Amino acid sequence: MIRDYIKYSIGNLFHRGMRSWLTLIGIFIGIAAIVALISLGQGLNNAVTSQFQSLGTDKIIIMPGGEIGAPGTGAEAAKLTEKELGIVERTAGVDAAVEMEYGIGKIEFNDKNTFTYIIGIPLDTKKLEMLKDMASFKAAEGRMIKPGDNKKAQIGYLLATDDSYFGKVLRVGNKINVEGAEFEIIGVTSQVGNSQDDSQIIISIEDSDKIFNKNKRYDAIYARVGNGADASKIVEEIKKGIRKLRGEKEGEEDFSVQTTEELLQSLGSILNIITAVLIGIASISLLVGGIGIMNTMYTSVLERTNEIGIMKAIGAKNSDILQIFLLEAGMLGLVGGIMGILAGMGMSSIAAFAAGQALKTTLIQAYFPPYLIFGALAFSIVVGIGSGVLPAIQASKLKPVDALRYE
Amino acid sequence: MISDYFGFAVGNLFHRRLRSWLTIIGIFIGIAAVVALVSLSQGMQDAIGNIFASLGSDRVLITPKGMTGPPGTETTSSRLYVTDLDVVKKTKGVKEAAGYLSRILPAKFGSQTKYPLVAGLPTDAGLSVFTSLGQFATVEGRMLKSGDKYKVIVGYQLAKETGGTFKKPVTIGKSVYINGYKFEVIGIRKPIGSAMFDTQVIIPLETMREITGIQNELSTINAMANAGASPNALADAIKKDLRKSRGLKEGNEDFDAQTSEQLRQLVSSIIGIIQAVIIGIAAISLLVGGIGIMNTMYTAVLERTNEIGIMKAIGAKNSDVLLIFVIESGMLGLVGGLLGVGTGVALSKTVEFVAYLIWQTPLISANFPWWLILGALGFSFSIGTISGIWPAYQASKMQPVKALRYE
Repeated sequence: MIRDYIKYSIGNLFHRGMRSWLTLIGIFIGIAAIVALISLGQGLNNAVTSQFQSLGTDKIIIMPGGEIGAPGTGAEAAKLTEKELGIVERTAGVDAAVEMEYGIGKIEFNDKNTFTYIIGIPLDTKKLEMLKDMASFKAAEGRMIKPGDNKKAQIGYLLATDDSYFGKVLRVGNKINVEGAEFEIIGVTSQVGNSQDDSQIIISIEDSDKIFNKNKRYDAIYARVGNGADASKIVEEIKKGIRKLRGEKEGEEDFSVQTTEELLQSLGSILNIITAVLIGIASISLLVGGIGIMNTMYTSVLERTNEIGIMKAIGAKNSDILQIFLLEAGMLGLVGGIMGILAGMGMSSIAAFAAGQALKTTLIQAYFPPYLIFGALAFSIVVGIGSGVLPAIQASKLKPVDALRYE
Repeated sequence: MISDYFGFAVGNLFHRRLRSWLTIIGIFIGIAAVVALVSLSQGMQDAIGNIFASLGSDRVLITPKGMTGPPGTETTSSRLYVTDLDVVKKTKGVKEAAGYLSRILPAKFGSQTKYPLVAGLPTDAGLSVFTSLGQFATVEGRMLKSGDKYKVIVGYQLAKETGGTFKKPVTIGKSVYINGYKFEVIGIRKPIGSAMFDTQVIIPLETMREITGIQNELSTINAMANAGASPNALADAIKKDLRKSRGLKEGNEDFDAQTSEQLRQLVSSIIGIIQAVIIGIAAISLLVGGIGIMNTMYTAVLERTNEIGIMKAIGAKNSDVLLIFVIESGMLGLVGGLLGVGTGVALSKTVEFVAYLIWQTPLISANFPWWLILGALGFSFSIGTISGIWPAYQASKMQPVKALRYE
């Protein structure tokens, strides 16, 4: 029985070919836009997550508060010092802590110069051991910076692969001039995926301290949580300790202490809001497409009034008529949805490829989780059926005599 | 003749009322979304334009290269010095130039310590370079004057009754301790609408040098062009002179010299891109709405085949039939557009009102330039007309005999 209905509705869709196609296109465009936006948003979210995971989930990051812009622009007077580092190191459950300094400095090579981020890290065996698994410190070529490496530099992936910085690429063994002093390149950091991290250079904190005149004011402290210790408890302990040191009240801290998990969540929620706004705007077109289905269904009920009359006269029940028209509307949504999903996948793959080429980032990726594909399909069917409900009810309620007489 | 066609078109739209309304809603939703989004982003552009207007239009701003935050948040190793100011002053075409030194310093008021950006402005002839700009106007008290020492003008955010930086508002005559030194509050700055300016505090440059011990450095230099001179040419001249005095080659500068106009364009081009993406996504729904119009028109042509046959039999030309259908679909677009513009205006005004209640920011405001209203109406009419052309062309080509015979 249902199979007959399906055949009947497909036949009807083909009968009014042009109109069905135009209606399908309406749904198709909306679904394509939404699938493309969700897959790019999800891809960005995944890329950010994996960058954070390369930090390790057992890390706690302490930063000066009142950050106005990029890392390193934090309030100078509120910066972290050896005292704060001591508190972090002495907190029970903290296994190791690394202090860092950031700044933008001038690098000269091949008679050209570039201003880029310079990261200063302490050359201490235990502290370096903690960093060696992180993507933004791990060496992909040459070796990672090690104790005794003063006036040596580990360079970001892009500096070693892209000649737009100095006219030619940097190689292990090259000598570069960092703020007037000569540094030897000893390694290339593994690719992180964003151009800021991938163009930075890593040097010893003694060297960076001289370059930026920081006087041991740190821009960040990374702490590692020991095996089995409770990260959120340690965060509270560190907060309490620094508050006491600075005489600050709870809630008025001029610093932040977060686990990588928390950092990831706050970043993820910003990304989700942006994606939600874009999808909200894109789904306006789906609403318009749904109205198009409703319109098409009203027209086809009107056109087939006589047919409905005949069906009823030979014994079709109201529910049969309702089912026939709902099926037809659902089909419109489904076919539009299938086409839209394919087009959306194509679009976002092209966008991801183009962005990767143009922006030199691995952050923009297209990702198609199963829930996206099935969700979009289900949604398009729901839009179709939802739009078909009113016209179908109208059709099912027609009186056979009136319907037969209708012209 | 044309007016007959219009009467005919309106009559036909009313005849198939439900279908016409559904079609109009399709266009209406899209136009409302686009009008609301354009008017809000236009309002934001204008508000940001006002902030930049307070920077002056005849200015060249010189900053250290690699700066990522506001002046004084030194992330970069490059610096500007008093000697650079002398070079700028001597550059041909410079009417007057002055620089200020800025740092983030602890400011204590009552029992609370916060870290605002403190700018040390010159109190000599150079002061007029800054006070002639709208951004340095005061709402209460006065600006710095020659001979002032240990006086402070606080940003509006610090003086606000509720929701200010400190628990109690900072008022004139009160004392604020900056970097441990006592300052008397002599003025409160006009609110600009940007957190960076509204939290800034201003003190005399000489006092700034005394409390920080920083002697020859400047965070930024602001040069005024001679009346009638081009700021762009002046920026190039300043770059050339500074390169010469610093012994640098072209392309290897460790400073930036930009006109305020260039800065404004940079910011508005970023907003422009965001605006274009959002409006582009919203415009997809207009495309879907247009397809809806096309669909409705095809159906109308089909339904009225007999009518077309009669019109042609009694002497209507192809062009008459074409015009009748094009006008009808143009009307669908235009009515949708009118409703959409009205709804869009109401929508963005509501958003503006709610945003003002929540954030009290002038950045979210709805602006309706004449081109937006006329453009939206023109665009909706064009969508209607264009979507109707193909169905109307098919109607006009019908053979009268076949059309009359059609069932």
